[in-house]
Amino acid sequence: MILNSSSVSSQARRKKIADIFCFAIVVMAAALVLLPIWWIFRTSLMTNAEIYKFPPPFFPKNWLFSNYGETLKYFKFWQDFRNTMIIIVPSVVAGTLTATLCAYAFARLRFPGKKFIFSLCIASMFLPPMVTLVPLYIMWTRGLGLQNTYWPLIIPYFCGGGAFNIFLLRQFIMTIPRELDEAAKIDGAGSFRILMQIIIPAIRPAMIVVALLLFILIWNDLLQQMVYINKPENFTIAVGLTIFRGAYKSDWASLMAATCMTFAPGVIFYLIGQKYFVEGIVMTGMKN
Amino acid sequence: MIHANQTAQAALKKKHKSPMSRKEAVAAYLYLIPAFLGLTFITYLPLAGVFGISFFKWDALSAPVFNAGKNFVNLFTKDPYFIDSIKVTIYFSVIAVIGSLIYSLTIAMLLNRKIPARGFWRAVYYVPYVLPAAAVYMGWSFLYETNFGLFNYILSQLGIHKIMFLTDSSAIIPSLALISVWLSGNLIVIFLAGLQNVPRVYSEAAEIDGANAWQRFIHVTLPCMSPIILYNTLMSLVTNMQMVVPALTLTNGGPGNSSMFMTFLMYRYAFQSNNLGYACAISFVFFILIAIFTAILFATSKTWTFYEGGDDR
Repeated sequence: MILNSSSVSSQARRKKIADIFCFAIVVMAAALVLLPIWWIFRTSLMTNAEIYKFPPPFFPKNWLFSNYGETLKYFKFWQDFRNTMIIIVPSVVAGTLTATLCAYAFARLRFPGKKFIFSLCIASMFLPPMVTLVPLYIMWTRGLGLQNTYWPLIIPYFCGGGAFNIFLLRQFIMTIPRELDEAAKIDGAGSFRILMQIIIPAIRPAMIVVALLLFILIWNDLLQQMVYINKPENFTIAVGLTIFRGAYKSDWASLMAATCMTFAPGVIFYLIGQKYFVEGIVMTGMKN
Repeated sequence: MIHANQTAQAALKKKHKSPMSRKEAVAAYLYLIPAFLGLTFITYLPLAGVFGISFFKWDALSAPVFNAGKNFVNLFTKDPYFIDSIKVTIYFSVIAVIGSLIYSLTIAMLLNRKIPARGFWRAVYYVPYVLPAAAVYMGWSFLYETNFGLFNYILSQLGIHKIMFLTDSSAIIPSLALISVWLSGNLIVIFLAGLQNVPRVYSEAAEIDGANAWQRFIHVTLPCMSPIILYNTLMSLVTNMQMVVPALTLTNGGPGNSSMFMTFLMYRYAFQSNNLGYACAISFVFFILIAIFTAILFATSKTWTFYEGGDDR
């Protein structure tokens, strides 16, 4: 009896030590993950002389926020930001809504050919967009004459918002008890009313996840924006930053200030949506 | 639940022609119009287009000229970049995928324990993923700077010689792969979602039988997680194989051909030398390469993935 309880308590102690050890690793690894971001930020606040100091200081001596003002003279952040938003806002809204429509059809409605269309959709998840870049370019520019407009960057998001997002929303809708819409159906509600009044209110967290994923996707894109946008006044943030680097290669303080500025909007949006974000992905229960 | 659904579905199939289900099907097709347009015009027709155009010589100005398989012959026999680009792409994606998987699964396992402020830490690991790629590589180019960068400073403190991370042709791919690992916070979130679905009873039963933590990881967690590992491997592979931003922003394919990713080479031929047919030939080989990798993964996955309670898709 006594022996047994002491072995249990030693086991509990061992578990506790393991927990503390794991927590320590989590904290240290998180610090390592954030270190590059901090380093970029602290560099953006330094004079170039201080940047070249050895050993490199961990904190800037004077926090030169004026670097940002200097950088903004040459880096058209606000103009580029506005341009990026012109692409992102309609794309995210349309992508989320059309993905919801498709996910609803796949999750709830019965129709011939469903399996086939769904597998076409899932297969497209593994098709890298890079593969089709050139034919799409030919279609948008030669075929439809849309060069130097934002349409080639926006229209694709009106077409279902990507297979992964459809899949995510479908999984989420499938967790909603069917009895709810069966009951509404008996009351005479059509499928669209069921979607608006039962499904959408229930899947709002997942729709926020999808909206954020779409935001990140477009925010991250550089290649397509470089391909379709040629005029400096139309540059997006990603293109503007890349061109800026070409011109100011060795002015590290300005470059890092520009980098930090472009970090900011994504981080801010993420912090706002983060509560739903990770929870939403977890809740969809990515079982298969 | 699933079973009940299936019987309901089967019951409905019997009275298939009822006006109710017709109406439902019409509604479904209406909802699927955007996806249908997207799959047709943005995905599958352009995919066929890649294959078709790759058999033509097509520069920006003149009309396309059919040249049989000459593009492919030139790619494999004459092109000074192409073979290197295949090697670079495979080398990079293999180390980036393996690194990302180990990193993200480890962190996910740690975050799955009872630790204080778990949501906060989870959010921290995700942050790199929300930064715009162009800015990420620009920021890291300073960290990798040979003389004043953070990494060489740390190495010098450890008594290790300077590494020219971005200008040494043997260091560049591992350096870029490290950034990919850093960016893989999205995999952590998906792994975490999977870990939360692993039934605790298995792990507890193994513990009672005297299995230690490592044995529980190998014999319980890994098998239960295998479908998600497969999924994450595929996603990570597709992401890393089409890596192009570092070449666009930093390296321009160099030094030498050491960061000449296939997608970057395709971009150069298509948009800098206006050689659309030739670029499509590269895209097509790239597509085949990804298809082969995916097929290998799926084929071998039958031996190492495990679906609880059989196939419930």
